[in-house]
Amino acid sequence: MDVLALISPAFFGLVAAGTVIGIFFGAIPGLTATMAVAVCLPLTYSMGLGTGLAFLLGLYVGGISGGLVPAVLLNIPGTPSSIATTFDGYPMARRGEGERALKIGICASLFGGLFSLVVLYLFAPPLADFAIKFSFVEKFLIILLALTLLAALGSGMLTGLFSGVLGMFVSLVGVYDINNGGNGDIRLVPGFLETWLESGFSLLPVLIGVFGLTAVLIEAEHGVREDAATKKLLLASGKPFRLSVFRGQWVNLLRSSAIGTFVGLLPGIGGSAASILAYSQEKTFNRKEPDAFGKGAPSGIIASESANNGLTGGALIPLLSLGIPGDATTAILIGAFTLQGIQVGPLFIGDNPGVWQAIVIAMLFANLCMVLVMLFAIRPIARVVMVPKYLLLPIILMMCVVGAYTINSGVMFDVWTMLAFGVFGWLIYKLRLDMAPFVIGFILGPSAEVYFVKSLESFGTLTIFFTKSWIAMLLWVLILASVTASVAIARAGARRARMAAAAEA
Amino acid sequence: MSAPSLLDVTIDFSTSHLVFPTIVGTLLVLMGAVLAVARRHEIRAALAGGIGWPTDMDGLRFFGTLVLTAVYFLAMNEIGWRWPNRGFGFLSASMPFLFAMSVLYLHERSRRHLMLAAVVAVLAPLVAWLVLFRLFDVSLP
Amino acid sequence: MNRRQFSVLGLIGGLAAAGFMPLSAGAQPLPDAIRMVIGSNAVSGDTYQNASIIAEALSAHLGIKVKVDAVGISEAFKAVGRDPRGTTVMFHHDQSYLSHLYGVRGFSDIFSAYKVGPVVSVNPGNAYLVPKQSPYQSVDDLLKAAADGTRIRVGIQAGGVSEIGYSALKNAARLAKPGSEANIVAVNSGSQADKNQQLFDGQVEVINGSVQANEQFTRLPDDDQKAMRFLWLTASREIIEEAPEAGFGQTSREQLLQYVTPAMRVTLDGQQDFVFDKDFFLLYNKDMPDEMVKAIDEALAAIYAKGDIQKTLKSSFFIPHFLPSQEAAAYLKTKDGNYRQVIEAIAAKN
Repeated sequence: MDVLALISPAFFGLVAAGTVIGIFFGAIPGLTATMAVAVCLPLTYSMGLGTGLAFLLGLYVGGISGGLVPAVLLNIPGTPSSIATTFDGYPMARRGEGERALKIGICASLFGGLFSLVVLYLFAPPLADFAIKFSFVEKFLIILLALTLLAALGSGMLTGLFSGVLGMFVSLVGVYDINNGGNGDIRLVPGFLETWLESGFSLLPVLIGVFGLTAVLIEAEHGVREDAATKKLLLASGKPFRLSVFRGQWVNLLRSSAIGTFVGLLPGIGGSAASILAYSQEKTFNRKEPDAFGKGAPSGIIASESANNGLTGGALIPLLSLGIPGDATTAILIGAFTLQGIQVGPLFIGDNPGVWQAIVIAMLFANLCMVLVMLFAIRPIARVVMVPKYLLLPIILMMCVVGAYTINSGVMFDVWTMLAFGVFGWLIYKLRLDMAPFVIGFILGPSAEVYFVKSLESFGTLTIFFTKSWIAMLLWVLILASVTASVAIARAGARRARMAAAAEA
Repeated sequence: MSAPSLLDVTIDFSTSHLVFPTIVGTLLVLMGAVLAVARRHEIRAALAGGIGWPTDMDGLRFFGTLVLTAVYFLAMNEIGWRWPNRGFGFLSASMPFLFAMSVLYLHERSRRHLMLAAVVAVLAPLVAWLVLFRLFDVSLP
Repeated sequence: MNRRQFSVLGLIGGLAAAGFMPLSAGAQPLPDAIRMVIGSNAVSGDTYQNASIIAEALSAHLGIKVKVDAVGISEAFKAVGRDPRGTTVMFHHDQSYLSHLYGVRGFSDIFSAYKVGPVVSVNPGNAYLVPKQSPYQSVDDLLKAAADGTRIRVGIQAGGVSEIGYSALKNAARLAKPGSEANIVAVNSGSQADKNQQLFDGQVEVINGSVQANEQFTRLPDDDQKAMRFLWLTASREIIEEAPEAGFGQTSREQLLQYVTPAMRVTLDGQQDFVFDKDFFLLYNKDMPDEMVKAIDEALAAIYAKGDIQKTLKSSFFIPHFLPSQEAAAYLKTKDGNYRQVIEAIAAKN
């Protein structure tokens, strides 16, 4: 089919509509990009091929991008891939730079989105061939690389590592899922809880719990004080946004976008890993302001947001050139293609050049719409921090319930999971453990397990992790570099803290 | 074939669900022990002082939140069971929940504030229900 | 309250009133909103797609709301197991009893714990594939190699539709040369992506896949690392003959017929051939009233008699296969018996 036959004013209109609805889903805590695409999929049944795709791709880009809004303003990631945005976005908002943080995030998102789109357009088939060189062994090493962040991310190396390992442990509760290649047997569950815990804890309810509900509980503990004077300050009293903040960030932008695209390219690793990996790399290798991370460093937002939008183009590569989705959202897009009678697989691009071009055009336009809509909407959206807490917090709680309930199409246990992890998150905070490494451990735990165990099942020796391929060896070099750098950072941080303490005393 | 070495491992599929939890569990215990040693002074101080709740805690609002939330979930599930597949559980449980939470969090319960809380408590669940359940056909309890 | 606020309130009130309106006022035994849970979490898989087609047809025919929810297998069983009122029904496929036969944790016998509803369609695409350059041209080559002591690794997902064809191969090897079935071994992994990857890596000789997901890989040039070839489709000949003539992608029905019995035979017991059609059917709560069962049977019979649904199913490469509840239960029970035989035969030898 010719590309011009697919493109019409309605095509662009639907990209724009999709982007707006996507941003709406992404921006509400609990609702995600995946959900946006899933609930709107039936709406496309009656649309044509071009318009249906346009709408869904708009939703995808909008949903991933919208997640940064509550991450910055409320410290609740709107969508799992914006977790790393909270690390620096919220501290910035606290010191009155909310609008600046949002704008930095939006621009970084645009860069990441366009970068990955160029990569998608120019290199999809060769990259798909490269992606299949990553077997279980290499994928495990990539996850290991992401886990090296645990030590660097916490308030101290030990605390960070412990919290991370705890997260992994909790993620393994329940059955070893057959759908991931497991044997369907249950572990880490006491007998009397088996009916409840057999499916383990779902990712999204846990995230909503530890970010959303925990935030509400901490507020409640402190008595929910309204503080109108500081609120006015919060909105835009700090530094205004200037494009010059991106000066000197080229390496960060390119590296993070490339990491995002690359993680998207590898099926099974998952979207949230992209921004975390990019954030950790930026934190580890940033020489200028290593201490600023976690306290409101623009570089952190740039890394996280360019990576999660870099994912969008990357995840389409295996989808369109292997027929295999790169993340949860693109998995749903397969359904859309099938409904329209289009087969995705290694011959898709060659067989359907028109559809392929239409997809790229839709993605390009969606990214541009996203920036326009978000930049214009920023002021009214940022005013959400002005809503009195006694009204805002209950609404956040309600939306968290909606998100937890609907993520698996209506499972009440997920809602209770959210409550349990809300309390757990509050305890973590009280025990001075670290939330970020816990969450990262939780997210990466299940894939780390499958790839590690499957590698050993196939090869029967631990040496395979070193000898499988040149890619494996290269990954070890990166892992070692990352560990060395994070140890150095942690030591330097501890030394500075001691000196500061000594100076005070 | 090279001689079998210490690094060789055979994994039986039927017990493969225990491999990784064992490794992670061991690591967790080790890390926990190290952390406990590193924080021994704090722990000793905490134990000596007795494990009490933080004194500056707003107990009413904190535990009120927990209790109301649990009641909310139970009510939502129960109503949703009686009138299934309509989203009524969510709709009818959310309204009183939102209002009760607002009242709990308010410090100055003036008529104006209570009115505002009531309006929001009716409108917010209704809008969420209309948009998500009716328009997007999202499943709600 | 100013005028603008007033009109916003009015609008919301109006919408709310519209929202509460009942969908239908028909006097029928069925509730007016039914939740159809499926045993899969994926809203893009064949189960969801098939369930949506059926749900939409039922909804239009009966004037009630039927909503498909992808809650996953264990949640689906739980949801339908606690609701005898007909407001929750389950839509699934052969995995529901196969997993019980394979002894997967948490699966009970569907024939005693639930009520079997109508069978509605078949996904004819369940396939086994080899790399394009593989020396194995047929199942016989494979069995011969196993008999000669060559280890043949098959990439599958444990405990369900993906494993049953592997068990059949093992059983056929046992019948050809007792003991040789030990040379056919399973490599368990999860998604299609993982299975494909194992084939690319040379970690397995054969994978389970599907016509839908793997057809394009079979059309790649010989020297491509990703190129595959169909070895065997488990579907019965009658089912593939029902497929659209154009087949799937660029593989015609004529070509697909080369991979099913009798062109490609896997014996069940030395006389009959093993076939496996992946049937989709409804499962009800054990105590769901009979008049509801009857109402759904009648509705589906009328829908299938009209003939539009067949076109919809076929356009998504599903083969219509309608059996009302009673026949469906007997039919599935027979399948259950056949596969139990296969699974027990190979288990006894191990």
